[in-house]
Amino acid sequence: MSEAPPIVVENLSFRYRTRTELAIEDISLMVHPGEMILVAGASGCGKTTLARCINGLIPRSYKGELKGSVHLYGRPVSGMTLAEIAQVVGTLLQDPERQIVASQVFAEVAFGPENLGLPREEVLERVGEALHRLGIEHLRERETFNLSGGEKQKVALAGVLAMRPTVLLLDEPLASLDPASAHEALALFRRLADEGTTIVLVEHRVEDALAARPDRLLYIEDGRVRYLGPIDSLPPEVDPAQVKLPAAWVVKYLRQQGKMTPPPPVPERDGEALVVFEDVDYAYGDGPLVLKGVNLTIRRGDLLAVLGPNGAGKSTLVKHAIGLLKPTRGRVLVEGKDTRDLSVAQVASTVGYVFQSPSHMLFAPTVLEELAFGPENLGFDSDATAQAVRESVQVVNLQGMEKYSPLGLSFGQQKRTAIAAVLAMRSRILILDEPTAGQDYANYTRFMNTLCRATDGRGQSLLSSRFAATLFITHDLDLALTYANRVVLVSDGRIVADGRPEDVLQDFALLERCRVRPTSLLRMNCEFLPKTGRFLPVEALAAYAA
Amino acid sequence: MLVTWKYRPRDTFVQRLDPRARLIFLACMILAVFQFWDIRFLLPFFVISLTLYFLARIEWHDVRRAWIFILLFVTFIVGLNALLSGRGGPLEVLQDVSSRVIFQARILTVPLVGWTWTVRITVVKAVFAATQLVRILTMAILAIPIPYTFDPSRYGVAFRQLGLPDKAAYTMDLAFRFVPTLGRDFGITLDAQRARGYEVDRLKGGIISRLRRLAPLVVPVTMLAIVGGEDVVDAMDLRAFGTRPRTWTVRLEYDTKDRLFIAFGVLLVVVSVALNILGYGDFWVPSALLAGG
Repeated sequence: MSEAPPIVVENLSFRYRTRTELAIEDISLMVHPGEMILVAGASGCGKTTLARCINGLIPRSYKGELKGSVHLYGRPVSGMTLAEIAQVVGTLLQDPERQIVASQVFAEVAFGPENLGLPREEVLERVGEALHRLGIEHLRERETFNLSGGEKQKVALAGVLAMRPTVLLLDEPLASLDPASAHEALALFRRLADEGTTIVLVEHRVEDALAARPDRLLYIEDGRVRYLGPIDSLPPEVDPAQVKLPAAWVVKYLRQQGKMTPPPPVPERDGEALVVFEDVDYAYGDGPLVLKGVNLTIRRGDLLAVLGPNGAGKSTLVKHAIGLLKPTRGRVLVEGKDTRDLSVAQVASTVGYVFQSPSHMLFAPTVLEELAFGPENLGFDSDATAQAVRESVQVVNLQGMEKYSPLGLSFGQQKRTAIAAVLAMRSRILILDEPTAGQDYANYTRFMNTLCRATDGRGQSLLSSRFAATLFITHDLDLALTYANRVVLVSDGRIVADGRPEDVLQDFALLERCRVRPTSLLRMNCEFLPKTGRFLPVEALAAYAA
Repeated sequence: MLVTWKYRPRDTFVQRLDPRARLIFLACMILAVFQFWDIRFLLPFFVISLTLYFLARIEWHDVRRAWIFILLFVTFIVGLNALLSGRGGPLEVLQDVSSRVIFQARILTVPLVGWTWTVRITVVKAVFAATQLVRILTMAILAIPIPYTFDPSRYGVAFRQLGLPDKAAYTMDLAFRFVPTLGRDFGITLDAQRARGYEVDRLKGGIISRLRRLAPLVVPVTMLAIVGGEDVVDAMDLRAFGTRPRTWTVRLEYDTKDRLFIAFGVLLVVVSVALNILGYGDFWVPSALLAGG
């Protein structure tokens, strides 16, 4: 390998063919051998575009106007073939599901070296080495689609490492992992950097990414570099509203700026049972039990967060509340009626369910028609449908987009459309499956604040004014402690804890057993709990931190 | 991400065969079956297919849905079409006017113009429908076990070693896995729309209106397939697919039983073609049935 630095980016600008504005503008950067650089910024800031310029997908797969240059070990990327680039830069995409192409782990890891036309013996050697390096030799013969999220990511990474790249480009690698798997992945990235691999880690969850001890931070806003340097403390150029930072940094920033807020009022709970799970067991087909003896009552006023690792049974649990799944044993009552005696459409008028991915539900030519679909199915007359649609558009702030095609909207806007589509059905209970998945910190904070934050002195939020109860599934512990008034911990198909966030989330040993990692915000809340009396969002907590 | 069919490793004669031998044998059987319209000649092939099916030892609950689909398809599309119209077979069935009529009824008369549609089932059409069912089922019974007994990690290499170029072989690999992936996305989409009060069994109105009511399922599944396809292309590009001739680490080797199995398939084709050339195997109706009128 030449003496030149692994990556040199000089005055790089790019505009996608379909856009009028530049995606990145005048970016310059030099990355040294064995260095780990963290690239952070909100969605659409240009992080992924920069990554695509480095790995050659721009301009090969994504066309547009490119200015400036990227050099890998002194060679211009523009003069290299994809095969040449792939042997220098290994790219791990945001979602390992999108990266894995083969049906079996061995075939997946061998895929790259095979494409290089290497001799069979060398392919075998590289596969063995990559699997060993990541400690996943035992997965070698497994089918890829049956792996857990964390295993999939390791397999995807092994497939990249088998190309023996000296530079790793990791594009939001934590997005689809539960907190414990994310932590393991970060430790792995650190080890690879310590072994000499140059790493570009693109991530908006700066707090989590810090666990990998990156050497420098590149912070991008609106396509331009705002900060490039060390990250021992919060650089003034970095906006805490755009990326997720350690709570202590945010508190310091808020105090400096005088932006502390009073504690939000606690939403009222009146205890009326809306959905009741009685001794529920569930198994898919003749498989093992996914739910085991679940007893749970969702009550009026609940803003309930369901936490737990991938595969714990969270989605299976909530699908019972809408009747999409019926218990193998026990029963689920919705407003007193057994879901076995109700069709999903009948339950839908009581329980609204927003699926994790909007791509699975959006279909109509316009946002208005999309939102009218549910109410029409439930038999609303045209006036009531129009009224419900109008209100939903306002609630999720989609004004001006009513005539747009939902399929042409950004991911965040699609997510809001999906929620508005369920809001328009005027169900009594709202269930959100991973409401923040696929969105960056700035977007999901804005979105959750709109839905969950109180709009009046009685703690009424947009959600609580429209729904008797709301339940959301999440991996994000901070989301639970910031927005929920009740937390349910699910592990291995059982409910292992259920109560106020302050009661459930202080038991760190229990959290660890459920693969939920305490965050800096949780630790700070625990520290100040004697003064605050309850868990608070970071803006309110700032008032207590001296 | 592409998912795979419900394959399970089994120690059976069928799964011990080289995948290429099975594909070649399948092609041979189809070619051989195409030589005959005589149910007496088709029945031995039907027995071979059935024997291989039972040798595959697939669990019933794995293939129950596939069977329901195939039986409905074969009975209603192929069987009824053959019975009512006589199309899709030899000319003598289509032109049959002389054989005994089993059932006849005027189904529809168009007002004003006075056109009528009369269903007339004759002995010839009935025998033809039975023959057609045996033909199609012979091939279906042979094909149904393939996704459940064919190791997904061997799809690509099997086609490559059958002589397809790298890109075509890998395309076959992806295409095989596309069907169950579509099934998974369809299942999630159906659940998501049912949660919005959508009931697919309540489709009302004419054909256009019914098709419009299918949009909530068809549009998301199609879009997911397109986006998923783009992801796969990006992921393959990033690992230098198609930039030069690739290595296939897994190698398939024929053994004696594979060679014998292929030889048996080739023999079936040779004998069938020879019989056809010699004039055997044309459409046959038992003379007792013809004479019965």
